Amino acid sequence: MLAVSKLNHYYGKAHVLRDLSLDVGTESVGVFGPNGAGKTTLVHAIVGLVRPRTGDITFDGRSLLRMPTYEVIRSGVALVPQERELFPYMSVLANLESGAAYIPAARKGVPEALQASFEMFPILKTRTRQLAGTLSGGEQRMLAIARAMMSSPKLLILDEPSLGLQPSLVTELFHKVRDIGEKSAILMAEQNVRQSLKAVSRGYVIENGAIALQGPSDELLHNDHVRRAYLGL
Amino acid sequence: MRLLRRLRRGQVLLLLVSLGVLVLMMLWKPYALIEGLQRGGLYALIALPMALILGVVGIINLAHGEFMMLGAYFAYWLGVYTGLDPLVAMIPALVAFALLGAATYLLTIRRALKAPELNQLLLTFGVAMVGAEFANLMWTSQPLKPHLSYVYSSMTLGKLRFGAYAFVYTVSAIVLLVLLSLFLRRTRLGRAALAVGQNPRGAKLVGIDINRTYLAIFSLSIALVGAIGAMFLTRNSVFPSAGSPYTMKSFCLIALAGIGNLPSVVWGGFGLGIAEALVLSFRGYGGWADVVFFAVLVAVILGRSYRRQTA
Ligand SMILES: Nc1ncnc2c1ncn2[C@@H]1O[C@H](COP(=O)(O)OP(=O)(O)OP(=O)(O)O)[C@@H](O)[C@H]1O
Ligand SMILES: [Mg+2]
Repeated sequence: MLAVSKLNHYYGKAHVLRDLSLDVGTESVGVFGPNGAGKTTLVHAIVGLVRPRTGDITFDGRSLLRMPTYEVIRSGVALVPQERELFPYMSVLANLESGAAYIPAARKGVPEALQASFEMFPILKTRTRQLAGTLSGGEQRMLAIARAMMSSPKLLILDEPSLGLQPSLVTELFHKVRDIGEKSAILMAEQNVRQSLKAVSRGYVIENGAIALQGPSDELLHNDHVRRAYLGL
Repeated sequence: MRLLRRLRRGQVLLLLVSLGVLVLMMLWKPYALIEGLQRGGLYALIALPMALILGVVGIINLAHGEFMMLGAYFAYWLGVYTGLDPLVAMIPALVAFALLGAATYLLTIRRALKAPELNQLLLTFGVAMVGAEFANLMWTSQPLKPHLSYVYSSMTLGKLRFGAYAFVYTVSAIVLLVLLSLFLRRTRLGRAALAVGQNPRGAKLVGIDINRTYLAIFSLSIALVGAIGAMFLTRNSVFPSAGSPYTMKSFCLIALAGIGNLPSVVWGGFGLGIAEALVLSFRGYGGWADVVFFAVLVAVILGRSYRRQTA
C-alpha cells in the first residue's frame, strides 16, 4: 500500500534521512528510534509537510512526492501528528467533524464515525462542547486520534502517540491502536518499544536517519541490540 | 436567561455600565449619541472585512482603506457613465473587487505568506500607495461626490429631528456581522477559514487546501470592502487619500476586539463613534476627536495587560 524508497532529506547541511526505505501492506508497522532519529521527518515527508531531496514515496501506486498535503490526506492517509495540531478554539465536536468535512469519501458516514469515536474514547462524549485547547494533554491526544479516524483512512500514521500519557493510559492506547489495525493499515512511530511492539506485527529501527534493523515483532523483541538499547535488558 | 448565565460577572458589569452611559447620553446629548452610532457604524462596517483577513490569513492589510476608496471611485465612475445609484453599484462592485482582490492576492500577498511580518506590512503598504497613486492619476485629488437627495431624509422622534439616512451604516454593520458569523459557522468554506486561522498545519492535515482558502477569504474581504466603498460614497466625498484614515481606525478596532472576535469589532466601533461624537459636541474641542480614538485604544490595551498581571 505504502512504499518509501531510498529517501534522503537534509535540513541545511544536516543529513537526517539516509537512503531510507520501508513499506507497509495492510498490516500494522512500527518505526522505532531514539530522539532525533528522523521519525517525525519521515512521516512528514509521507504527507508532504517536508519535501525530501531524493527518493520516492508511493501510496496505492501513486507517487506522493509532489502532492500537496490536502491531496495526500484526501487519498486515504491520515496523520496523528506528534504535536496533535488540533483547532484550539473549536469545540471537541467541531474538531471531530473537521476530520471528515473535507474528505469527500468520508462526508456521508459522519454520524457512524462520531459514534465510533465516542465508543473508542468515551471521555470525548462527555466533553463535546469543551474547547479543544482546554483539554488535558492526554485528552488532546485522544481527540487527535479520533479526528484522524473520522476520515476512515486506508492508512493511519501515528507519531509518538504515547508521548505524555500516564502509564495505564499507554497500555490502553496500544490496545486501541491494535483495534484500529483491524480496519486500517497502521504506521506508528514510537519510542516506547516495549509496549508498542505488541500492537504491531512488524517493525523498523531507525538510527541517525537510516534503517538499522527490521523484522517481525517477536524477532525484534529477542534481538540483542533491541534488548540492550531499547528495552534496557 | 441562559444568555445571562453564560456571561461572566465582568461582562455583566460592562454591559450595565455601557447601558447606563447610553441612557445618560440619551438624556444629556441625544444628538451626539445618534451621530456617534452613525459614525461608529461606518467604522465597524469597514473594519469587519479587515478582521476577516487578519483572523484567517494572518496578514494586516494596510491597503484596506485604499480598496474602500477605490470602491467609492468605482461607484462614482459607474454613476457618471450609466447613471447607476451608488447603492445599486454595490453589486457590480462586489464582483469587480472580488476579482481585484484575487489578483492582488495571487500577484503579491501569496508570495509573502512565509515572509517575516514586517515585510508583509511593507508589502501591503506598497499596495496602498499604488492604489492611492492610481486614483490620483485617474481622477486627480479633487474630491468627488454624487448628488443624491435621499441621503438628506430626516426623522423626528419626540422633540428630536435628525438625519436618518446614515443609520444605514449602523444597520449594515450589524447585518454584515450576522452574515459573516453565519458564514464562518455554517458553511464549509467558513469552517475551513476558521480552521486555517487557528492552525494552518492542522488544517492541511484534515484535508483543507489552505492556499485556496487564503485566496477565497482575501478576495471575499476585498469584495466586501469595495462594495462598502460604494455605500461610503452616498454620504462622503471620495479623493485619493479618503481611505487611509479608515485603515488605521479599522486596525485599532481589531486590536481592541482581539483577533477573531468579530462582535467586539462592531461594539467597539459603536463605542468609539459615540466617544468621538461626544467630544465633537463640545464647541471648540472638535480637534480632539481623533485623539479620543487612540486614547481609548491605549486605555483598553493598558487595562488588559494590567488585568493579565493581576490574574
Ligand atoms: N525544521 C528543522 N530544522 C532543522 N533541523 C531539524 C528540523 N526538524 C528536525 N530537525 C533535526 O532533524 C533531526 C531529526 O528530527 P526528527 O524530528 O525527525 O526526529 P524524531 O525521530 O521525530 O525525534 P523525537 O523522538 O524527539 O520526536 C533532528 O536532529 C532534529 O534536530
Ligand atoms: Mg518526532
